[in-house]
Amino acid sequence: MEDASWPSHLDSIVEEFRDCFDSMERYELLFEYAKKHPSPLPLDEWNEENQVLGCQSRAHVKCSLDENGLFLLRAGADAQIVQGLMAITAIAVNGQSSTEVSKLSPKYVEEMGLKSSLTPSRANGFLNMFKRVVSEAEILSEV
Amino acid sequence: MALDIKAIRSDFPILSRILPNGKQLVYFDNAATSQKPQCVIDAMTKYYEQYNSNAHRANHTLADEATTALENAREKISQFFGTTPENLIYTSGATEAINLVSYGWARYNLKEGDVIVLTEMEHHADIVPWQELSKEKGIEVRYVPINNESFTLDMDAFEIAIEDASLVCVTHTSNVLGIRNPIEQIIQMSKEVGAHVLLDCAQGAPHEKINFNNLGADFIAISAHKMAGPTGIGCLLATSERISEMGPFMTGGSMIKTVTTDGSTYQNGHSMFETGTPRIAEAIGWGAAVEWLSQFEMKDIHNHVHQIASWTGREMNKIPGIKIYGDPDNKNSSGAISFLHETIQSQDLAFLLDEGGFAVRTGHHCAQPLMDALGVPSTNRASFWIYNTQEEAESFISHLKFVCERFV
Repeated sequence: MEDASWPSHLDSIVEEFRDCFDSMERYELLFEYAKKHPSPLPLDEWNEENQVLGCQSRAHVKCSLDENGLFLLRAGADAQIVQGLMAITAIAVNGQSSTEVSKLSPKYVEEMGLKSSLTPSRANGFLNMFKRVVSEAEILSEV
Repeated sequence: MALDIKAIRSDFPILSRILPNGKQLVYFDNAATSQKPQCVIDAMTKYYEQYNSNAHRANHTLADEATTALENAREKISQFFGTTPENLIYTSGATEAINLVSYGWARYNLKEGDVIVLTEMEHHADIVPWQELSKEKGIEVRYVPINNESFTLDMDAFEIAIEDASLVCVTHTSNVLGIRNPIEQIIQMSKEVGAHVLLDCAQGAPHEKINFNNLGADFIAISAHKMAGPTGIGCLLATSERISEMGPFMTGGSMIKTVTTDGSTYQNGHSMFETGTPRIAEAIGWGAAVEWLSQFEMKDIHNHVHQIASWTGREMNKIPGIKIYGDPDNKNSSGAISFLHETIQSQDLAFLLDEGGFAVRTGHHCAQPLMDALGVPSTNRASFWIYNTQEEAESFISHLKFVCERFV
C-alpha cells in the first residue's frame, strides 16, 4: 500500500490515472469507470432516504453488509464524474470491514489528479457522497 | 460605434489570468457576476487606504470625506438610471431591493385577497418574498406562463392575470433564457388596470440603459455586481409617491430620528430604509463603475454582446446533441445562452468546459419554476459581456465540439 489512507488494491487504479497524458484523458478514464461500476444502485432504488443532499447533481448512496459481514457500497449519480468516483470508491471499500471503511480519506482522488473534484463548490456531489459512505460505515461498524 | 475591446480588456486585470491547469481564463459567467475594472478596485482601495470612516454624524475630516463620497456615488448612480438621489435606496443587491418592496411597501399597503402577478421566468428573489407575504397576509400570487417554443411570456395570459392585480412583478430580462420581456408594454398594461409595477432589472441593467423616470415603473431593483460594480450593493429605485407609502423594513441605527425608552420616530425618504452603517466602499465602487460605463453607449455594449451571442448560438445549434433554451439570435436577447447536451450531464459538461478554461454556470440558476416549465432540472449557461471577444467565442465552440465528440 502506497498510502495508509486507501487500500492497497487501489494502487493500480491511482497509477492508471497518474499516467494519463492530460486532464481530458483522465476524465475520459473516469467516464469509463462510471460505466463499469461494480455495484451500481439501480434507478428504481433511488429514493429520498438514500439521496445525498446538497448535490448539484442527483446522487444516491446505499451502504450495507454483505453475506460475509463485509462492507458493500451501492451508489448512483446522474453525473458521470461523480458516478466514476463512486465506482472507484466502491472498488476501494467493497469487501472491507466497516471499521476500515470508516477510516478512509478521499486522498486517493487527489492522488489521481482529480483534486478539483474535491473543491466544495463544484463537486460537492462526490464529497458529500464520500462523507455519507464514511458515516454509514461508522454506524455499521457499531452493529 | 464599435467598441475598442482590446482597450476595454486592459481595464480588467482578471481577464489575463492563467488558471491552475495552465489554461487562459475565458469568462462566460457574466449573468452571475461581471468582472471589475481597475478603476473600481482602485476607488475602493483608496477609500480604505485614505479616508475609511463611518459616514454621517461626525465632525472630522475623514467622516466628511466618506459621507461626501457615499452621497456623490448616489448622485452618479441615480443620474445613470435617469432619476434623482431621493429616489434611490441603497440595498445589498436586487434581492434585498425586492424584499424591501415586499416588506416595506406591500406589507403596509396590500391586504387579504389582493393579487400579485409574477411570471414563470422570475428568479427566486422575485418569487419567495411574495410567497412569504402571501402566507402572512392571504395575498393571491399568480404566475404568467411562458411559451415553450418562443421562450417568451404568454402576453394573452398576462392580460388576463393582471385584470384585478395590485402589483405586477416582472423580470426585465430572464437570467436563464436571456429573453428581454416587453417591459414597456407590461408597464402600460399594468397601469391601465391600476396595478403598480416592480421590475427586476438585475439582468437588464448591464445590457441596456435603464431610465427609471421615463419607464414609469413604480419600483426597479438593481444589483451593482453584474454591471462592473462590487458585490454587496444594489438599489431600489422607487417613485416618491411609493416611497411615501412605505414603512420600516429593517430597524436600528441610522434610520431613526429619535429613540426614547417609550418608542422611536423614523427618518423620511431613503434614509428610513438604509439601516446601520452604510455600504460605503461598495457605493464608492459602484459610483466608479457607472462612471466607467458612462464612457460607452449601452446600445453599443448590447450590439457587441448580441453579435457574439448570436454567432455562438448558431454554432452551438450545429453541434449534435446540443439544445439551446432561449433565442440568442433575437435582437433583444441579453447574451445569456442556456443549453444542455442530450447525453452529457450538465455538471459533467461544466467540469469539462472548465478544463478548457471556460467559466460557465450550471444548475437551476435560482429559477426552479422556469426549470419546471422547461421540463429540465438544470442547464449550462454561457453569458457574455462587454469584454468578451469573437476569438473567445470561437475557442469556446471549438472546445465544446471537442468535448461533445469525445465524451458522447
